[in-house]
Amino acid sequence: MVTPLDLIRKKRAEAVSRIIGKGYLAAKRVYVGMATCEIAAGSKEVMEVFKQAIAKGIVKDVYLSQKGCAGRCNLEPTVEVIETGKMPVRYGRIDADKARQIIEKHLKGGQVIEEWVIG
Amino acid sequence: MMEYAITICEGPTCIGRHADRLRAILLEELAKRGLKDHVRINISGCLGMCHKGPFLVVNPGYTIYGGVTESDIPVIVEEHIVKDRPIARLAVQEDHLFNRFYRIFGDVGFFGKQMRITLRNCGIIDPENIDDYLALRGYEALAKVLTEMTPQQVIAEVKQSGLRGRGGAGFPTGLKWELTAKQPGPEKYVICNADEGDPGAFMDRSAIEGDPHTILEGMIIGGYAIGSNHGIVYIRAEYPLAVRRLEIAIQQARQHNLLGKGILGTNFDFDIEIRLGAGAFVCGEETALIQSIEGARGMPRPRPPFPATSGLFGKPTLINNVETWANIPVIILEGAKWFSSIGTETSKGTKVFALAGCVVNTGLVEVPMGTTIRQVVYDIGGGIPGGKRLTAVQTGGPSGGCLPESYLDTPVDYESLAKAGSIMGSGGMIVMDETACMVDVARFFLEFTQSESCGKCTPCREGTKRMLEILERIVQGKGRPGDIERLERLGNMIKKASLCGLGQSAPNPVLSTIRHFRDEYQQHIEQKRCPAGVCKALLTYTITDACVGCGACKKVCPVGAISGTKKEKHVIDQAKCIRCGQCYTTCKFNAISRS
Amino acid sequence: MSKITIYINGKPYKVEPGQTIMQAADKLGFHIPRLCYHPKLSIEGACRVCIVEVEGMKNYVASCAFPVSDGMKIRTNTLELRQARRDIVELLLDNHPQDCHVCERNGTCELQRLSYSMGIRNRHFEGQRKDYPADESSEAVIRDPNRCILCGRCVRLCSEIQQIHNLSQAYRGFKTVVMPAYNIPMKDSVCSCCGQCVNVCPTAAFLEKNHTKEVFAALNDPSLVKVVQFAPSVRAAIGEAFGLEPGHNMEGQLVAALRRLGFDYVFDTQSGADLTITEEASEFLERLQGKGKLPMITSCSSAWMKCMEQFHPDLIDNISTCKSPMSMTGAMVKTYFARRLKVSPEKICSVAVMCCTAKKYEAARPELMVDGLRAVDYVVTTREAAWMIKSAGIDFLNIIPEPFDEPLGISSGAGVIFGTTGGVMEAALRSAYELFTGQTLVDIEVQAVRGFEAIKEGKVVMDGQEIRVAVTHGLGNASKLLDMVREDPKRYHFIEIMGCPGGCIGGGGQPYAGVNAIPLDEDALKKRAQVLYDLDRHRTIRRSHENPAVQRLYKEFLQRPLSPISHKYLHTHYKAKEPRGVIPRS
Repeated sequence: MVTPLDLIRKKRAEAVSRIIGKGYLAAKRVYVGMATCEIAAGSKEVMEVFKQAIAKGIVKDVYLSQKGCAGRCNLEPTVEVIETGKMPVRYGRIDADKARQIIEKHLKGGQVIEEWVIG
Repeated sequence: MMEYAITICEGPTCIGRHADRLRAILLEELAKRGLKDHVRINISGCLGMCHKGPFLVVNPGYTIYGGVTESDIPVIVEEHIVKDRPIARLAVQEDHLFNRFYRIFGDVGFFGKQMRITLRNCGIIDPENIDDYLALRGYEALAKVLTEMTPQQVIAEVKQSGLRGRGGAGFPTGLKWELTAKQPGPEKYVICNADEGDPGAFMDRSAIEGDPHTILEGMIIGGYAIGSNHGIVYIRAEYPLAVRRLEIAIQQARQHNLLGKGILGTNFDFDIEIRLGAGAFVCGEETALIQSIEGARGMPRPRPPFPATSGLFGKPTLINNVETWANIPVIILEGAKWFSSIGTETSKGTKVFALAGCVVNTGLVEVPMGTTIRQVVYDIGGGIPGGKRLTAVQTGGPSGGCLPESYLDTPVDYESLAKAGSIMGSGGMIVMDETACMVDVARFFLEFTQSESCGKCTPCREGTKRMLEILERIVQGKGRPGDIERLERLGNMIKKASLCGLGQSAPNPVLSTIRHFRDEYQQHIEQKRCPAGVCKALLTYTITDACVGCGACKKVCPVGAISGTKKEKHVIDQAKCIRCGQCYTTCKFNAISRS
Repeated sequence: MSKITIYINGKPYKVEPGQTIMQAADKLGFHIPRLCYHPKLSIEGACRVCIVEVEGMKNYVASCAFPVSDGMKIRTNTLELRQARRDIVELLLDNHPQDCHVCERNGTCELQRLSYSMGIRNRHFEGQRKDYPADESSEAVIRDPNRCILCGRCVRLCSEIQQIHNLSQAYRGFKTVVMPAYNIPMKDSVCSCCGQCVNVCPTAAFLEKNHTKEVFAALNDPSLVKVVQFAPSVRAAIGEAFGLEPGHNMEGQLVAALRRLGFDYVFDTQSGADLTITEEASEFLERLQGKGKLPMITSCSSAWMKCMEQFHPDLIDNISTCKSPMSMTGAMVKTYFARRLKVSPEKICSVAVMCCTAKKYEAARPELMVDGLRAVDYVVTTREAAWMIKSAGIDFLNIIPEPFDEPLGISSGAGVIFGTTGGVMEAALRSAYELFTGQTLVDIEVQAVRGFEAIKEGKVVMDGQEIRVAVTHGLGNASKLLDMVREDPKRYHFIEIMGCPGGCIGGGGQPYAGVNAIPLDEDALKKRAQVLYDLDRHRTIRRSHENPAVQRLYKEFLQRPLSPISHKYLHTHYKAKEPRGVIPRS
């Protein structure tokens, strides 16, 4: 008999493969905070910059996702850049312009912009 | 750029096993090898893995080294840090739901010192994609109870966990479940109270916006445990994004057969609907909330009968708040035993606070029960900015109280906070520095509760109004002898005689500030003086000898109260001065004194 | 269940389980002070006057709401509790006008009594007082929020007993106020005008629209012929306004007192009731013979009529077209009687003393105009009449009773019992039976329709045909009964509906409850009803159509029941008045 646990494990495997199918295994993953507070601080524009960059092929091999609020109210909007095997990089107080610089320097150039990093 | 981050757990158990000495040795070792700039050392609060402590967590990779001894340190540095070869022999497998959070955020001091149970997925998953939740063992707790547990076993587990209601009152959750489960009849309701109304509180909103499925999963498990097929999330209409994400989550859960008929192939049916609140603070009170769902004016009614016996539409109803529900999947998967190992004797698990006010890091903070206010404010919040002095910490929102600096070592748990004159409440924590006037703070909160009183019972409706009037005259310099005693007399009566929790706690901000800051009240009333310089009517602005006669203050004074010739000391006509403070903020020479 | 032990102020008492502290204490002789509590309404727990201490409880508990349990230790009178209770009542007073001596409820106000018994001799917390305009738009009921202490009795009564749901608390905190939805004027609201809010209000937040000034003015106008009528239940209750216990018939005293006030003619609404029954019984027989819809539903209660037009317009065709006894009497005064006197009807001032506030609304209905004039110029309630008598210095209790005037002074026993629930039905059956069968109804007292049950059902067999009847009182019960009718339209042939609990004897214009009495107390209502049943029993004429005054009316003026002239003056029509926001029944 198939138990609910069997079913949920199957669902999890399917979910994981769907996420991978969306490009999760890309070299870099970018998360943009998109809770009410983050949006109020301007994260929609930030998200748009990353979306455009990917759509226009300015950056390649990047997985972009929205996320909820982790709780750093005074540092919003927040953006994370995660690369397997490296320390996750967490940026705070990002606006559209800073997002473009992250794309240029970090995503394309591999250079972490230290001054915006949340320690 | 740091290449590694090593987190050392310095929770009470690990400290007992000399984690602090390990840290010293580690620092020494790193210095010796010249690695100090490549490795960041973090101290964390309890990470909930006590039985394997003391331990170090090395990121990236989230390698957990458990039972670490002094002699292990050089080996870890040599192998893992220098040669980038994690040591399998020393590593332990700790499969926790929050691992993923710490993998990303664990080395950030602000997060590292927290313990993320209910907020474990907030900020790391896409809340609008059920796949993200499923991938992190989402709905596994539900599948587990449906596969292996009877409703009685689920209730026993929740009871054993020691979980208490996170909405404020701290009623044992398992007991509530048991009471509701015991009621006869097939028609029962499960309600999630997401009517977050405290000014400055946003725990529930963030939790729903960041991880809506956790709440749904908790509710479905609750429905299974008490024998209900009908869940309702009562959420304020002012949270449109949270509402939308809940709607999406419900839709997705239905598509995955996690809601609806025959959940996961069993014969258990459960569905959830959303009801929007119109924004009345009192609708967070469970009986008022029920009235509101029923379509009536949201006003509390006397208990008993409790919702567990006669709730929504007169049926047995299980109401828990957002944070309480979010704990349920964790308790089921990690086990009641593990859960109850976190926290204090009477308060188990963690509590989320919305840390705000005069503190460097404002934000959402989830800490184990028993963490002291000082740890929250200084270790996580980063202390008071601008070199100012902390005056008070307000917990519990408008129902809570103000605790002075001397109470900073009060642990956050239900009993300790109540003993100190405040309450846990739903989790607001406002830090105030020396620029806050305690009388004015009390007035602010009372103004809120008075205007949000449902108007039903006399003590709350009329009594808080009279208290507010007294506070208003005190801050206007019209306080009378006996006003403090009048406030206490009314406050104590309102506390004991009001119908619902809103009224019973409404005087807390006043009574706690009188208890801890009585002299401030006395100064306002007797000397007509506001020590914090907040109460406008009580301020006097004068120009000191430091005045160079630049005339800047004269220019900004809106009522022409300042006179003087250039390059000579100016004077303020006290009869004309309206105490707006413009001169004070304009003067570049600190020549205006305010007292 | 076996008894449990509770301790009150240290002494043990055996009490029944399953009751509240207040209920248990009442039976033991502890009358815990109270305000918002009313035994016929849901438990509000709002005023907090009835708080007590229960050992082990952190806070005080409201004794009206809290159940007793075995071993419970209750304290009702500690110093701390006394001060808290006193302060609570002071808080109510502090937000209430300080003008008892000019208030309508001076002497009958529950807050006033409570303030005295709580020992409030000085004030500690005075401050701002609410300031809302009074709503005087309604013909029947005035709402004065400034006198309201927000006990919620009116709100509960209006929604629970009457199920009109016109009143609710609005706004929050200190600004809380009881009002109709969207603060629309009472006149435009769904208020049925029943006036029960006035009855249950502990203060003067609800009052009838006062017309005594106009009546005194008319009484002092020598150019007018002053005619007054009064309803059956007025005589059964007005004594209470003069300190008598419920249950005294004051008919003769009231006739005499009204004459002393300056009325030229004092008529009996019961005479009009006999006319109503004669018409209504005939109408019923017509409907029974296929001319019109069944069940036929009575139309005497004006609050019920307004409620019906608003909430049950699908049943308009079932409503008897007969006017109420007051309006029929008024119509006869302005036509038949005016002609007899040979005065112009404009020169007649027609006044009615009613147990009812809704009659004020009824008297103003344009449909009820008689040849362009109001049939009743002014309606005063039992309370207003009592005040007029006191105000004019008439020794009501010691006055020598006098008889009514001719021609509308004679009534049958059937006309008398109109004043209580079931009375109209019983009266109608007495006449209908005889008119239908040609035989006399042997068992003239139709017990099935007497009493205070919510819905009473009865059966009469007339010439082999079973006539099924139902009686209800209170608009909430009416809604329930009508839903039964909608489900099974053939269930009844004839239905009596009275808007107020107990019928007219419990009307919204009756004297306020005395000290230590509860508004709408069923025992008091029963005593009033008994007055009417006793009067009926001692009448020689107990059937409406046998009333010689009625017979003479037909002979001299109306010709016969349901004649064209009867239709012109004694019948009316109704139309749907669906209120704003109400979805019409399909």
